[in-house]
Amino acid sequence: MRKILFPISMLALLILIFSVPAYSQEIKIAACIYDFKDAFMNRFRNAMAKEAEISGIKFEMVDSMKNQNLQFDQVEDLISEGVSALIINPVNRMDMGAIIEKAKDANIPIVFINREPVAEDLNLYDRAYYVGSRPEEAGTLSGLMIAEYFKAHPEADKNNDGKIQFVMLKGENGHQDMYARSKYSVEAISEAGYDPVEVASAIANWDKFQAMVILNGFVMSIGAENIEAIIANNDEMALGAVETLKSIDYNKGDPEKFIPIVGVDGNAGALLAINDDEMIGTVLQDAETQGACAVRLALTAAKGLEINAENIGYEISKGYDTSDNKYIWIPYQKITKAEKLEKGE
Amino acid sequence: MSEKHVTREKYNSYFKIVGILILVIGILFYLAQTMPALDGVKKALNLRKIYDLPVFLIIIGLFVALKGFVSKSEGQEVIFSGKSFGEFLTNNAILLAMLVLVVVICILQPRFMQIRVALDILTQSSTKLIMALGICFTLLIAGTDLSAGRMVGLASVISASMLQTASYANRFFPDMPQVQLYLPIVLAILACMIFGALNGFLVAKYDMHPFIATLATQVIIYGTCSLYFDMPPNNSQPIGGIRPDFAALGQMRLFSGIYKGFPGISILIPIALVICVIIWFVLNKTVFGKNVYAIGGNREAAVVAGINVFKNIMGIFILASCLYGIAGVLEAARTAGATNNYGNGYELDAIAACVVGGVSLSGGIGKVGGIIMGVLIFTIIQYGLQFINVSPMWQQVIKGVIIAVAVAIDLTKYRRK
Repeated sequence: MRKILFPISMLALLILIFSVPAYSQEIKIAACIYDFKDAFMNRFRNAMAKEAEISGIKFEMVDSMKNQNLQFDQVEDLISEGVSALIINPVNRMDMGAIIEKAKDANIPIVFINREPVAEDLNLYDRAYYVGSRPEEAGTLSGLMIAEYFKAHPEADKNNDGKIQFVMLKGENGHQDMYARSKYSVEAISEAGYDPVEVASAIANWDKFQAMVILNGFVMSIGAENIEAIIANNDEMALGAVETLKSIDYNKGDPEKFIPIVGVDGNAGALLAINDDEMIGTVLQDAETQGACAVRLALTAAKGLEINAENIGYEISKGYDTSDNKYIWIPYQKITKAEKLEKGE
Repeated sequence: MSEKHVTREKYNSYFKIVGILILVIGILFYLAQTMPALDGVKKALNLRKIYDLPVFLIIIGLFVALKGFVSKSEGQEVIFSGKSFGEFLTNNAILLAMLVLVVVICILQPRFMQIRVALDILTQSSTKLIMALGICFTLLIAGTDLSAGRMVGLASVISASMLQTASYANRFFPDMPQVQLYLPIVLAILACMIFGALNGFLVAKYDMHPFIATLATQVIIYGTCSLYFDMPPNNSQPIGGIRPDFAALGQMRLFSGIYKGFPGISILIPIALVICVIIWFVLNKTVFGKNVYAIGGNREAAVVAGINVFKNIMGIFILASCLYGIAGVLEAARTAGATNNYGNGYELDAIAACVVGGVSLSGGIGKVGGIIMGVLIFTIIQYGLQFINVSPMWQQVIKGVIIAVAVAIDLTKYRRK
């Protein structure tokens, strides 16, 4: 048996060696991505690489593999290699102080993306920035889409009580986006002049299957005829809701049997569902603009130019509780069938 | 405590009387609900509020009465006493708790009394049942299988990735032609069976404890599945745009619209039933089945008796993984999608359902009927708690208590013997 085990272990070792990415020597700007497997960050990476190519700079990306200690080491290595700016997608956004200190010692600008470091850390260094989207905006836009739908379709108020009876499907407990999206979607509905009434809500952990099972329970206990809208914190859960409704012959083209559903993310499945009138809309986090903007910001800062709307393309502004101008907020985009038609997609 | 002896014949007649009584009440309610002439009664008793309760009463009454008519009238006397009553309570504690819960839910939320709900519970039980039937083989040889859930994920990702509509924007294999439906399904199940064979090999060849062997396999499967899932152009995005003919495999409803408002029977229910019958046959009527019980009961004795333990253990794990594969394919079809996270933690639910259904973790004891009960009890409790909107945290607590109580009762039963 040992005769077989030895070559197997050698083979495993070989696979290991070849799977480690090779590092190139000459770089200008480097980015540490928390996890190369993340689908959203993938769009982000493509956008950054494209922008770097346009600007004609050298650009390198490393995979932090969801390991904060590895990311620390990578930052140290990159600084000693002599990069002129760093783009960091934190593994743990609460734990960026040490990395910022390292960048400060080397006096190179550092741009954080997608996961926002705490303000105290960001304030440690005047050349530390953040590029991202305001999580509450996704909530606001999804609430707005529901309100717009009710404006265009007054019959969607099935019991004619002037209120919107909705079901909320929430993401993972404790996630910043979950809170922001849930809270602001409801606020947007009431700001648009409707009275939102939550008939039920549950945590489905961003998961299609869980959302499907949970909504199925709600449909049975509350009754589909008593639900006027479904708000999901992401597209996967919205698609789960679509499957449940389809199983009771809702959202299949019969206008009598339709419940408007909105999600967030703009993934391919949701776009298809919007096209087929199974969902009314989703909100797209603009990874392309964010990625391009991060590279432009890093480059501008590395050159020592002024950070302003002219050089970056977006206004630099304050965060929630920090006094410095360190934040670039890229707006979310809402996607509904009407808007897709307008663009001719 | 005074004891009361009752002959079998009399005991059976109790069942007949109670059964027929329930049946009659059910029929009366049903008539009151449907006959226009009795509209006054309907309104007076507010009978619209009881939904399909009459139908359930008729079914329950039929079953109870049938038990009275079919049971043998000879045999031991039945003893009614404080002691036998206490024994009855402990032996059926979980079942009784479930019945109490169902009654409470029906009072709190009368909508629970719908045929639609009952069918829904059966549908949700189906894939869980298939998993539990697979895992029971590994429990029967005093082992376990931690890789079951990840195999579900693997099968769902593989089958879904090859069965997308041609027009979908984010196809897993953009240039793949529309293949025959069975091909990806067979591939997905085969992939699971390969890992099942690995499980069996580790356990049988090295005498590794199944806990460790299947833990190792679980991690390998998840890694492999994630690598596959991360292949460009998909890059770990949820798989969607499932072909309608594949989705029908999990979503089709039979006999829908036989009468007004009948939601139809999900195709998953007959699939699970067929698998139940097959597994029952394998366990009770084949040499392999007898060997499984023999190895679980006493491994040394089985070896001495000339049973080929290696072959049988391999067979157990491969058969089990085949069932997980089927469950995974059905799960992908039902949800019309898949991610590498599908099936996460399913093995623990399946083990718990087996245990509640009377499968002994020390091996050798367990019946298909018990497993069906265990899965149903679990699903009904979970569904019911969700129905009256009990917080998910409390659901977890209740689930844990059920498992602990079930095993405790099980162990005291054997100690008594």
